[in-house]
Amino acid sequence: MLGPFRVLQLLLLNLFFHLLAEASTAGFTPPGKPKLTSCRSPEKETFTCWWDPGSDGGLPTTYSLYYRLENSETVYECPDYRTAGENSCFFSKNDTTIWVNYNITVVATNELGSNHSDSVEVDVAYIVQPNTPVNVTVAVKEDDQGPYVRVSWEKPPKADTSSGWITLVYQLRVKLEKERDWEEYDAGYQKVFKVFSPRSGGTYMVQVRCKPDHGFWSEWSNTSYVTVPDYLLKERYLWIVIGTISLVIFIILTWMINLKRNSVKHFLLPPVPGPKIKGFDKQQLKNGKAEDAFNALVIQGFLPASDYEDLLVEYLEVYDNDNQELVDGGKDLQDGLLKSKCMSDNDSGRGSCDSHILLMEKCGEGKEELPVEHPRPQEVVGKCSGPMEDLVANTAELNTSLVHTLAPRFSPSLPSQINKKGSPGTPTPISEKGEKQKRELHNSSPALSGYSHINNEFDMNGLVGKRDPAAPAFRSMEYVEVQKVSQQNVLLLRPLGPTPVQLAAEDYSKVKGVTSDNVLLLQSEQSRLRISDCQERGEQEESCPRQQHPQAGKLAIHLPSNVIQGGYVDSATMIY
Amino acid sequence: ADASVLSVVNGCDDLCVSVCVSVSVLMCAAMCSEAVGVSDLLDRASQISDKLHSLSTSLSNDLDSHFVPVTRLLMPRPSACHTSSLQTPNDKDHALRVPETELLSLVRSLVLAWTDPLALLSSEASALDHPANSIINTKAKELHDQSKTLGEGLEHLVSKMGSSGPSISLLPLFESNDLGQDPTSRLVNFHFLLSCFRRDSHKIDSFLKVLRCRAAPMNPDTC
Repeated sequence: MLGPFRVLQLLLLNLFFHLLAEASTAGFTPPGKPKLTSCRSPEKETFTCWWDPGSDGGLPTTYSLYYRLENSETVYECPDYRTAGENSCFFSKNDTTIWVNYNITVVATNELGSNHSDSVEVDVAYIVQPNTPVNVTVAVKEDDQGPYVRVSWEKPPKADTSSGWITLVYQLRVKLEKERDWEEYDAGYQKVFKVFSPRSGGTYMVQVRCKPDHGFWSEWSNTSYVTVPDYLLKERYLWIVIGTISLVIFIILTWMINLKRNSVKHFLLPPVPGPKIKGFDKQQLKNGKAEDAFNALVIQGFLPASDYEDLLVEYLEVYDNDNQELVDGGKDLQDGLLKSKCMSDNDSGRGSCDSHILLMEKCGEGKEELPVEHPRPQEVVGKCSGPMEDLVANTAELNTSLVHTLAPRFSPSLPSQINKKGSPGTPTPISEKGEKQKRELHNSSPALSGYSHINNEFDMNGLVGKRDPAAPAFRSMEYVEVQKVSQQNVLLLRPLGPTPVQLAAEDYSKVKGVTSDNVLLLQSEQSRLRISDCQERGEQEESCPRQQHPQAGKLAIHLPSNVIQGGYVDSATMIY
Repeated sequence: ADASVLSVVNGCDDLCVSVCVSVSVLMCAAMCSEAVGVSDLLDRASQISDKLHSLSTSLSNDLDSHFVPVTRLLMPRPSACHTSSLQTPNDKDHALRVPETELLSLVRSLVLAWTDPLALLSSEASALDHPANSIINTKAKELHDQSKTLGEGLEHLVSKMGSSGPSISLLPLFESNDLGQDPTSRLVNFHFLLSCFRRDSHKIDSFLKVLRCRAAPMNPDTC
């Protein structure tokens, strides 16, 4: 008899098994339907099939593959479940037959039941998909056109191409690392491919795949990287040639500009004429010895200070006689001479030519220029005084302007054409006007005024001619007649006789008036003597008024404003 | 002047003929040299067979695009192909062991066996009850032409290689004169025939390529 404890055990066991029985049927199902996903043959000698298991119903499920060849009914099971991995079946060489249909089915089995997949007909000949090519090497090579990328690879190991059993065609794709799209190239049967004209400095990614003549493309191989070093474009030779030619042209241009340096400089920066004083030593000025520099300009013996007054006095011999008119000789000659001197010096401004003489400055009188034509040492007046002032006073009353001669420039050198002769100097011709009537001024063209006084003592440098020792120190002035003005604006002088020069009335030009801008209008109809006549007549008695080209009747003489003062006109300042 | 030109032309005739004959003789001699000819011929033949198989595959796909599933069920088994009696190697080891002449004769037999069926296919293609009718018709005709070209080339090759032709008695016979009575069966038979040809063209292509590599084993491109 079972005890109560025993009964309880039985009940519990019963319950347990009952529960177990229930558990096995509740939530567990036979396996779901598996599905053959694909079958592939990599070399047309073996093949593998994979399936998708489906649900296992919660229970451990086994899968089996069964196949049948087309001509027989014999069912075979998969020979190898492992080689190709999970849920796969590998058919080895022995089990593979080409050009024969395989009827393949997968059956899933678990405790509760089994399930089989749909059958699939497979012909190995049509499922060939090779493995990816191997040993993909990428390198940058050089040839005479420049660098290129050489890609080489080898066939997948198991494919038997040498016997011709399988024939593979290859394809590669290339892209720059930063680009998005690949460039595909067909390589045909070759195992080498060249990519020309790669991007300089770019990094390329290369992949290769293959395909049998009738089959599927393999997977792309692993990416290979290659970096192209920087290189010049293949047109570098052209650039080198262009660079060289440009350099040569540049050198030639530089040399040409260098040769014409001065012209270029003149063209770009026209020179500003600056004052130049002949004989002026800048260096001395820089050294701080200004006096020495200025003294160098002074002609020694030319104008000794002590003679200053004498000169002035000499010059200021004014004749009161109406008939006696003084020719302002030489003033313009000197001027002309001086001017000729001026002209020869290209860099000199006019100011130097027209610089009124030191005497003028010494005089300090700005009223008129004192024509000191013949400086005589003894007679040079150190200051303006005496008769000079009288003259000034007298002439102030004159209505007509006087044409003064201009003191010669104390240029150290005079043209050698000046013949110096000792002759008693005659007073500087000063045209003078009587108190009552107008004096006609001798209007000789300043450049061609007939006479000039030259002091023997006029000891300027370069002056050809000697001192005439016989000539009295006092009046050693002489008249020189301007013979002609040469083409180079050089006055050719010839000495005149000692007689004073008297001018006819017609030798004077009447000043018609002065315009507002300091132009002196002269009447020229009175002078009739021509130059040629004058020459024929010789130079003895008469002055040969040198007329300028007969003009319409007026001569306009431009006078700088500082000349016209007090009615006196210093002809030396006339610029023709 | 004209007369002289004419006389020159006339005189040229005899000269030209003799030149032509000698040139053709030389060319024949060049072409007749075996070593060059066989590999080139094989290469040419394998190119044609490749094209043949590609055509048949594309034609098959065109048919499949609008294929009514029920017809597939009605399709006979592949073993019912008329060339199934022809014993051919079924794997690589077998195929590589077959001597060239035998292999070539096999290929030639296959090609010859399909001459008539392909003619039937091309004639029946126009009346096919299929939406892609015109394309199928074009391709079927080209299929027929290419197979004829291949046949001629193989004949030439056989004579060059000196092997004897296959015995006619072993040739598989294709006895049908039409594809069927009703459109459906015609379509089904057309499709079946095409599938048989597709497989056989693959065989032909494979064998010819094996032969090609065997004739020129150092070919860097293909072998």
